[in-house]
Amino acid sequence: MERYATLPVENGVLGAIRQFLAGLLEKKLVDALLVPLELPTGENVVPTIVSRPEQVQRANPLAPVLPVNAARLVSRVTLVSSSPERLGVVLRSCELRALVELVKLKQASLDKLLLIGIDCFGTYSVNDYEKSVKESASSTEDFLNRAREGKEDPLLRKACQICEYPVPMGADLTIGLLGVDLAKGILLVAGTPEGEKVIEEMGLEEAKAGERQPAVEKLTAERARKREEVLKQVQEEVKGLDKMMATLATCINCHNCKTACPLCYCKECFFDSPVFEFEAEKYLGWAKRKGALRMPNDTLLFHLTRLNHMVVACVGCGLCTEACPNDVPVFDIFRLVGYEVQKVFDYVPGRSLDEELPLTTFREEELPNIGV
Amino acid sequence: MAKSEAVLVIGAGVAGIKASLDLAEAGYTVYLCERKPSIGGAVVQMDRWFPDNHCSLCQMLPTLNRDLSSQFCLRRGLVHPGVELLFNTEVTGLQGEAGDFRAELSTRSTGVDASLCIGCGLCTEACPVEVESQFDEGLGRKKAIDVPNPYASPRRYAIDWEKCTRCGECVGKCPTQAIQLEPKESTMQLQVGAIILSTGFEEFDPRMATQYGYRRYPNVITSIELERILSPGGPSGGELVRSSDGKTPASIAFLQCIGSRDRGRDYCSSACCMFAVKEAALIRKTWPDTDVHIFFMDLRTFGKGYYRYYEHARDELGVHFTRCRVPVVKEDPQTHNIMLTVAADGGLPVRRQFEMAVLSVGQTPAPEFGELCQVLGVETNRWGFCQTRPFSLTETSQDGIYVCGSAAGPKDITDTVVEAGAAAGEATRWLSSPPARPAAEKPAETPSEEEAPQVVVFLCGCGDEIASALDLESVAGYIGQLPGMVHVEQVPYLCSDEALEAVAKGAKEHKGNRLVLGGCGLCVNKYINDKFATEAGLMPEKIRVVNLREDVVWVHRDQPDAALAKTRSLLNMAIEDARQQDYPPVSLTAVTPGALVIGGGIAGMTAALSIARHDIEVHLVEKSPELGGNLKDLYSTLESGDTRPLLKDTLEQVSSNSNIHLHLESEVVATSGYAGDFRVSIKKKDDTTDVLEVGAVIVATGGDEYRPEEYLYGQSQKVLTQRELEKRLASGEIDPSGLSSVVMIQCVGSREKDRPYCSRVCCSEAIKNALKLKEVNPGIEVAVLHRDVMSYGFKEQYYTLAREKGVQFIRYGLDSKPEVKEEGERLITELIEPVLGGKLVLEPDLVVLSTGIIPNDNPALAGILEVETDEDGFFREAEEKFRSTDFLREGIYVCGLAQSPRGIEETIAQAQAAAGRAVSLLTSKHLKAGRMVSEVVQRLCRKCEMCITVCPYDARARDEETNEIVVREALCQGCGACVVACPSGAAKMRGFRDKQVFSLIDAVFQ
Amino acid sequence: MAEEKEFQPVIVGFFCNWCTATAADLAGTLRMQYPANIRPIRTMCSGSVDPVYVLRALLGGADGVIVGGCTPGDCHYVSGNYKARRRMAILKTMLKTLGIEDDRVWIRWISAAEGAKFARTMREVTESIKKLGPNPLREDWSI
Repeated sequence: MERYATLPVENGVLGAIRQFLAGLLEKKLVDALLVPLELPTGENVVPTIVSRPEQVQRANPLAPVLPVNAARLVSRVTLVSSSPERLGVVLRSCELRALVELVKLKQASLDKLLLIGIDCFGTYSVNDYEKSVKESASSTEDFLNRAREGKEDPLLRKACQICEYPVPMGADLTIGLLGVDLAKGILLVAGTPEGEKVIEEMGLEEAKAGERQPAVEKLTAERARKREEVLKQVQEEVKGLDKMMATLATCINCHNCKTACPLCYCKECFFDSPVFEFEAEKYLGWAKRKGALRMPNDTLLFHLTRLNHMVVACVGCGLCTEACPNDVPVFDIFRLVGYEVQKVFDYVPGRSLDEELPLTTFREEELPNIGV
Repeated sequence: MAKSEAVLVIGAGVAGIKASLDLAEAGYTVYLCERKPSIGGAVVQMDRWFPDNHCSLCQMLPTLNRDLSSQFCLRRGLVHPGVELLFNTEVTGLQGEAGDFRAELSTRSTGVDASLCIGCGLCTEACPVEVESQFDEGLGRKKAIDVPNPYASPRRYAIDWEKCTRCGECVGKCPTQAIQLEPKESTMQLQVGAIILSTGFEEFDPRMATQYGYRRYPNVITSIELERILSPGGPSGGELVRSSDGKTPASIAFLQCIGSRDRGRDYCSSACCMFAVKEAALIRKTWPDTDVHIFFMDLRTFGKGYYRYYEHARDELGVHFTRCRVPVVKEDPQTHNIMLTVAADGGLPVRRQFEMAVLSVGQTPAPEFGELCQVLGVETNRWGFCQTRPFSLTETSQDGIYVCGSAAGPKDITDTVVEAGAAAGEATRWLSSPPARPAAEKPAETPSEEEAPQVVVFLCGCGDEIASALDLESVAGYIGQLPGMVHVEQVPYLCSDEALEAVAKGAKEHKGNRLVLGGCGLCVNKYINDKFATEAGLMPEKIRVVNLREDVVWVHRDQPDAALAKTRSLLNMAIEDARQQDYPPVSLTAVTPGALVIGGGIAGMTAALSIARHDIEVHLVEKSPELGGNLKDLYSTLESGDTRPLLKDTLEQVSSNSNIHLHLESEVVATSGYAGDFRVSIKKKDDTTDVLEVGAVIVATGGDEYRPEEYLYGQSQKVLTQRELEKRLASGEIDPSGLSSVVMIQCVGSREKDRPYCSRVCCSEAIKNALKLKEVNPGIEVAVLHRDVMSYGFKEQYYTLAREKGVQFIRYGLDSKPEVKEEGERLITELIEPVLGGKLVLEPDLVVLSTGIIPNDNPALAGILEVETDEDGFFREAEEKFRSTDFLREGIYVCGLAQSPRGIEETIAQAQAAAGRAVSLLTSKHLKAGRMVSEVVQRLCRKCEMCITVCPYDARARDEETNEIVVREALCQGCGACVVACPSGAAKMRGFRDKQVFSLIDAVFQ
Repeated sequence: MAEEKEFQPVIVGFFCNWCTATAADLAGTLRMQYPANIRPIRTMCSGSVDPVYVLRALLGGADGVIVGGCTPGDCHYVSGNYKARRRMAILKTMLKTLGIEDDRVWIRWISAAEGAKFARTMREVTESIKKLGPNPLREDWSI
C-alpha cells in the first residue's frame, strides 16, 4: 500500500524539493544523493553525486532535460561493488525502468539505494533546454506550469510526448506533482517500507492521494493515444526496405546510439569486436558480388542486431536519437519495434524486478505460430 | 577370479544400449550382440513416449567424455569405442564362471558384405521378392534384400534368408560385388567377466486369441501397428488411416489386456495401459474429430507422472474410458466397422460400433529366449521370463549373469532403463578394473598454431551413383581455384580401404592439413567415426564430409543444374568451414574420488555398498540416529518375502565396510563445486560442521508415509494403516484368528486433487496383508475397497491368488468414497457398489487404510544441492525415461522414494543404477571436455550472467576467487545457448564461432 | 527464343544435428525428391542459431532462411528449441514491423524420424520463396 505525505511549498516547488533533499542528507537518511545539479553557468543541469546538504540548493530534478539516462550512472557507481553507504538517487520514470532492467542484467545493484522517483512531464533536448533557460529566468517553473495546464509543448522530445509512464514504477519515494494542488504542497508518495520510514523520520505531515490517480490516468491515456498516432506515422516513414534504407542513409556506424543507450551494456560492442574485423579480400569480394558496397558497411545489420539484443528491454527514453550526429531517428525504430515485441511477451521493461528477462525463460505452451 | 574387464550384453534394444553405454562410459569393454541386423529393438519403432509425448532417446548418450560416443539420434545407430556391435549374432554356448566366462557366439552373414556395400540400394530395386516389413509390423512392404531399419546409418542391407528365392537379380546389379546368395555361419569365442541379458520381449500375437478377429477383420490392429501408423516414417506417412478403405476412422476402440491378465498369462504387461493412453492422447491432439474409447479392467497408472497424464487425456483431451473387458470383436461385413458388446458400470450390455479397434497386446518372452536361458544356465519362471533372485530385479540364478528390461518380466521403458543401469552397475563386481581410459591417458593435444589451412579435397564417384549425375570434372575445376586449396582428386569409391590409403597419402603429399570429402553417408562413418581413419592420422575435427549422394544426387534427380549449383556451394561451404577451424587443446578436469550418499535407508545403503565395492570412500549421511529408513517398518514384500534378513545383512555389510564412513544425526547444509569436485558441508549432531570433498553425490533421502486424517484415523482404535497392521501382525499384537472381517481402503491420500499420483506400492501391500490374514484365518472376510488394482507385472498372480482365497475386491469411485463411521462399538463402512449401484454396508473389526507415499522436505535439500523438485515435491530427474537417476546438474544422482514412490526391489535397482553412474564418474581420473565447448572472452564479458541462467548443465559459473565467468568444460555439452544469450560476443563456441559461421554464410553466395 | 530462366532462390538452412539434419539424411536415403535450393548448415541445436546469423544470411542475399529444430519438448539440450522459439519470435516480429519480409524467415520443427516432412517442408519453403521473388537485398549494395 502506498502512503502519502505533504512537502510544504513555502519556497516554491523547487525550493520544497531542495529542502526535502537537503533534509535527507541532514537527517542522515542518506549519505549522498545522485541528483541533477544546475551548472554554475546556469545553462544546463548535470547529474551529480552530492554529499553536502548545502550543495543541494543547486539541485534541479524538475529541469526538463535528460542529458544522460541516470540508470547508466547508477550502473557506473554500483557495477564493481554495491554502494557502501546509503545513496539516494533521484530518477525519472525512464531512468528507473532502465535501472531495473540493468539490475536484472546484473549491471547495477540496488543495495543501500534509496530510489526517489519524480513525476515526469517530459524533457527537451539539451539544446532546446539551454535555449529555454536563456529565454526565461524561471524556465523550470514556466515549464511546470505549462505542463500542468496540459498544454501541448512542441519542444518536448518525441520520446517524452509518447511516453505512457509519467510516474516512476517501484520507487521507494515518489515526488508527486500530478493531480496535486501545488499551492498547498507536493505529494510525497511512499511505495515501500523504506519510503515510509523516510516519511516518518522526516516528520512529514501525512496526506491523502487526492486527485493523483485520475490525473495520472488521464495523462497516461493521452500519451498512449499520442503514441499510437506517432507510431503509425513512424511506421509510414520507416516501414519497408526502401524507407528503412532511406532512414538509415546517414548512419555512419559511429555507434553513438548504443553509447547513449542506458541498456546497451556491453563492454565493447559486438560490432566493434574482432568478429567484424575482416580481411581486405572480403570487402572486395562483397563489392564484387553486389557490384558495389556501401561503406561503412553492415549498417543495417548493426541496427537490426542491436534491436534484436536490446529491444525487448527498451524503455523508450529516446536518448539514442539525441545522440545521433546525423539525425537518424533511432528511437522511432526502437519504440516501434519495442512496442510490438514487448507485446508478444507481455513484458514491460522496468515494471518489476520479479519479471524474468524474456530471453532467459520460456513457457512450454506459447507462440504457436512460431514453428509448426 | 575376475580375469576379464569385458562384458557381453545380449540384445541391443533400449536395455542393452543403456547397459552397454553405462559400462563403456565406465571404461569397460562391451560386446553388444544382437540377433537382428540393427539396433534399437522395439523403441525405434516408436516416436513418442508417455508421460510427456516426447522422443528423448538421445538422452541416453553419455554427457561426460561425450566426444567418445556418436553425437546423433540413436535411431541411426551407436558408435562408441568401448562398444563392439555384433549383429545377426546369437550366443550358442557358455563355459566358465562369473569373472571368467567363455561365450560361444554364432553369426549368420547378412548376405551383404558390409565392407564392400556402398549402400546404393540397387539390389533392393532389382529384387523381385516383396515381403512384409517387420519394422512396420507387416503394414508396409519391403524387399527380400533391404535395410531392416529405415533410420539406420550407415545403411546395412541384409537378405531375408527365408524369403529370398536366390534368383540372383541383385547379385548382378551390385556394383561392388558385395552380395553372396548363401548364408554363412561363423563362430567366435569371447572371454568376458559378466553377461547382461537384455533380450526384451515379443509382443503377444493376437491371432492366438481368435475372438478378437485380428487378421480376419482389416480394421483390427495391434497397438504396435498403430504406433507405426502414427509414425511419420511409417507405412502411411503418419496419417491415421484404417486398412479397409484408407479413411481416417471417426471412432477408435482400444481393447486392453490382450494377451495379459488371462488364464495362460496371469501377469500384467505393465506398459500397455499407458501405451494406449498415449496413443489415444496423440490421436485426440492431431485428429480431434476422432472419438477414442479405451476399454480397460484396471487403469494401471503406477509410474511417475502417469496418473496426471491419464487425467489430462481424460479431462482435457476427451479420451473416453470405460471399465469393461470386451469379450469378443465382430465386424460389419459391409462397412468393415467393428462391433463390440460392452457394458459400462451399472448398465446393461450394449452393442457399439467403432471404425477401428486397437488391441493393446501384452509382452511375452521371445520364442528363442528359453533356449538362450538354457545355454546360459539361467532359470526361467513359469511364463518363460528370466527368474530373478529375491530383492533383486537383475540377478539371475547364475552368478555373473544379470538380466534387465522385459527379459525379466514385462515392463515399460522407464523401469527397463533403471534396471539396465542396475545390471551394468552390478555386473562390474565380476570384472577386473578396466585399463586407463583414453580420456585419462591421452595428453592434451597441442594446438597447431597459426598453421595456414591447406585443403585437400577428394570427390567420390560412388561407382556411377554420383559420377553419372554430377559433372565432377567441372566441380573439381571450380573448387580447385578456391582459396586455401592445394589438391583435388577424384576416386571411384571413397569407402574402400584402398581409397582410405590414397586419401592419407594424398593429404600427406600435398601437405594438406584440412580434408574435405565429397561422398555419401558412409563416408561420415568411415572417416569421422571410424577408428581407423583416426589412426591413419586424420583427425576427425579436420575432416568435413559433404554428402553428395544423399544430400544432392538422390534427392534432386530432375534438377541437374540446380544440383550442380548446390554441389559447388556445399563444397565451398565445407572448404571454408574446414579452413576456419582452429584446434585449441581439449581440457582435462581432475576428479576427486569419494562419494557422498544422503540418506541411510535401503536406497542409500545399497548405493553406498555398490560404490564402496570399487574401493571408493563413501560418506553416508543420515538424519536420524540409526540406519534403515522405511525398511525398519516393513516385514515382507509380496514377491521377495521376509525383509528382515535383507535389513540385517545390509546393516552388517555397511558397518563392516571400511570404505563407508557413517555420519549419523547429520545433515547436508551447503554445497559448492561441480561434478567431480564438490565440497559439501555436513552439520553434525553437536552443531559442528564438517566439509567433505567428494566427486559425486547420491540423493537417497527416501519418502514418508501419508498420515491420514480421513476415515476416523486417529479417532477409532479400529482404524489403522497397512503399515501398522503389518507391524501388529508381525508382533502378534493382532491375531487374525480373532477377527472375522477386515476392510481395506485403497488410495488413501493418493490419486486425489492434492496428490495426483499413484503411490505404486499400496495395492501390493494390501494384497500381501490380505493374504497373510487369510493364511492364518481362512474364514476371515477381507474386502479391499479400491479404485484400480495396481498389481502390475508378476504381482498380478497374487491378486488372482487373493481373489481365489476369497478376498473381495470392491471398487469405489473418487466421487463416491466409502464412508467409515463408528456407532458405539460398531465400525460401519458404507459404499456405493458401482457395478450394481446399490449401497453396501460392511461392519468390519478393522478398517485398514492403504496410505500413500509422500515426499520428505525435498525442496529444501534441492535448494542446497541446486537441483529441482517436481510438482509433487519429489526430486525431478534429468529426464523421465532415460535419465531417471540423473539430475541435470551433473555428478548428482537420485534413487528411491526421493525420486518417486516405488517398492523395495525397485528402490534397490534404482540405487544400484545411481551408484553405477557415480562409479563411472569417480573411477575416471579425469573428465575430458568435448571439442565443441563454449569459452569466455574475458575482455568482452560484462558478467551479466545470462549465460549462466540459460545453461541447462551447470557448465557456467562465476568463479568465486576471480569473479570471472568460467566454463566448466567437462560439463559443457556444446549446445550454444550461452553464445546466443550473450549480446557482446564474450561467449563463443569452439568450432562454431561467430566468425566461422559468418564465413560459412558468405561461402553460400560465392 | 529462349525462355527466361526460372528464378532459383538460395535458401540457407540452419538444421539441428539431432533432428532436422537427421531427417534430411533420412529423406536422402529414402530418395525423397525436393528442390536443390537449400544450403544446409548443421548446428548442434536450434537454440544455438543466433538471430545475427539469420540476419547475416538474409542481408547477405539469401532469398530465404529456414531454421529447423526439434519438436518443442524434444530438445537434446533440454530447452534449446524453446529459447530458439522466443528468439525467432522477436526476430520475425521485428522484421514484420519494419516491413523487411519476415516471410523469408522460416522456423520449422522436424524430428529425426520425419524424412517426409523434411522433404515436404523444403518444397514448401522453396515454392513460397519463389513466389516472393528474389531478395531485394541480394543486389542492394547500400545496406
